[in-house]
Amino acid sequence: MTTIKAIFDYTFREHVRHKVWLSAALFGLVLLAGGLVASALAQDERARMMLDLGLAANELIALVSVVFLTVHLILQEIESRAVFLILSHPVKRWHYLLGRFFGTLAAVGLAMAAMGVFHWGLLKLFGWGSGGSYLLAWACSFGKTAVMGSLALLLSLALTSEAAAMAFSVFFWILGHFSAEMRFVAEKSGNSLLRTGILAFSHVAPDFAHFNYRDAWHAGLPSAGWMGAGALYALGYCAACLALATQVFEQKEF
Amino acid sequence: MKAIRFQKVGKIYRKSHLGRLTETVGLEGLDLDVEKGEVFGLLGLNGSGKTTAIKLIMGLHLPTTGDVEVLGRRMPDVEVLRRIGYAPEAAYLNKTLTGRETLSLYAALSGMPSASRRERVAEMLTRVGLERAADKRLAEYSKGMLQRASLAQTLIHDPELLILDEPVTGLDPLAIKEVRALILWLKGKGKTVLFSSHDISEVERVCDRIGILSGGKLAKVMSQDEWRGKPDALENAFASSVTRTDGVGEIKLD
Repeated sequence: MTTIKAIFDYTFREHVRHKVWLSAALFGLVLLAGGLVASALAQDERARMMLDLGLAANELIALVSVVFLTVHLILQEIESRAVFLILSHPVKRWHYLLGRFFGTLAAVGLAMAAMGVFHWGLLKLFGWGSGGSYLLAWACSFGKTAVMGSLALLLSLALTSEAAAMAFSVFFWILGHFSAEMRFVAEKSGNSLLRTGILAFSHVAPDFAHFNYRDAWHAGLPSAGWMGAGALYALGYCAACLALATQVFEQKEF
Repeated sequence: MKAIRFQKVGKIYRKSHLGRLTETVGLEGLDLDVEKGEVFGLLGLNGSGKTTAIKLIMGLHLPTTGDVEVLGRRMPDVEVLRRIGYAPEAAYLNKTLTGRETLSLYAALSGMPSASRRERVAEMLTRVGLERAADKRLAEYSKGMLQRASLAQTLIHDPELLILDEPVTGLDPLAIKEVRALILWLKGKGKTVLFSSHDISEVERVCDRIGILSGGKLAKVMSQDEWRGKPDALENAFASSVTRTDGVGEIKLD
């Protein structure tokens, strides 16, 4: 635990001090303010528009940040050879990966929390009183971010190219919004090979339907089962990606 | 008692590009013992296998054939790294951290208890002359300061075996003198030191024994009494033992 914590701490510090992360956080704040301006155009639904725009901006910034940061996370340390020094200490490789991943996730989570607090404050200022739970919407975005972060980390180690890992991450991110559609196409397909292939692919790609609380916002709080399934899905998907990433990383020589 | 033992160690690097496999020999049939308490120098041209041998000791590479034993344990073994200090050829440190944070990180990674960490970090910063720059980020350090920070991380956990990869390359004469004094001081404390170098005069002054590597093979092992008091003995032995394998021809003089 000491080594994971030490790596977590320095990764978190590194990101908080990193200009890219800071600019992403600032960009998020600018987008939220943009949402405020845009909402002035729709007087009747001002709070609702602000809510949707703000949550979408928060999630988009977090996803862009987490993909960008995790894709560079290990590859950059390999390129700068900083990983030589870390792994020449009694550090197990999976400790290193966990520390790096959770340090990054915590930094992105902090940025999301800062944007969320700012957004929530604006909503309250403009008289927003909702039936839904802002915290749950935030948690769903965070779950999505964690899933994408773990997948981007795995892709970066498997492909060893930052550009390819980023391109595939974006591809999976888009696919993740169409899991139900992929399964529907698979069911309708007459070809069993194609059906199996599409079905397998729909399970490998993240299924963001588990985190789609924003669409059901106005129906009030979802069931505990739905929330639990979402949390389990995020944990399971991240664990599977991290386990595979560890397998790939264990084979690497520096 | 052996600190390091190479038994018929071979290392072949394999690279595959567009289906074409190329192999490069890093080491071939290396048999070498380094005794506890001695200062051993690995001499060789670029590409002779010095860094490969060091990376095998640190478990950063895996041997293709044979075994590497360090402090009685077969490598790779994460636990034995607790007893080894490693300084790579350049200071591969994360530049976003301060000097103090860097040493604190490596102390934690080495398994040093948190109660003694702060005091030990301050002591090491003073020992390498960085106490006034302790809270500056490494990005602001000069090359010499980075080299000192790298040496400090090597020594922070008081290791019994020190592996220094080209510790004097690129340093100014004053810094070279300090590194030489440090190696002799470590020897006086009963530590085992293995270092690689191109610099014959430096090796002559501090080593008990040397090994000359050429083309991945151990060409010669010499002990101090074979060169002490015999001007140019080591240089002549080196010149007669090595052959260029990097495809670079001699400089032609008219």
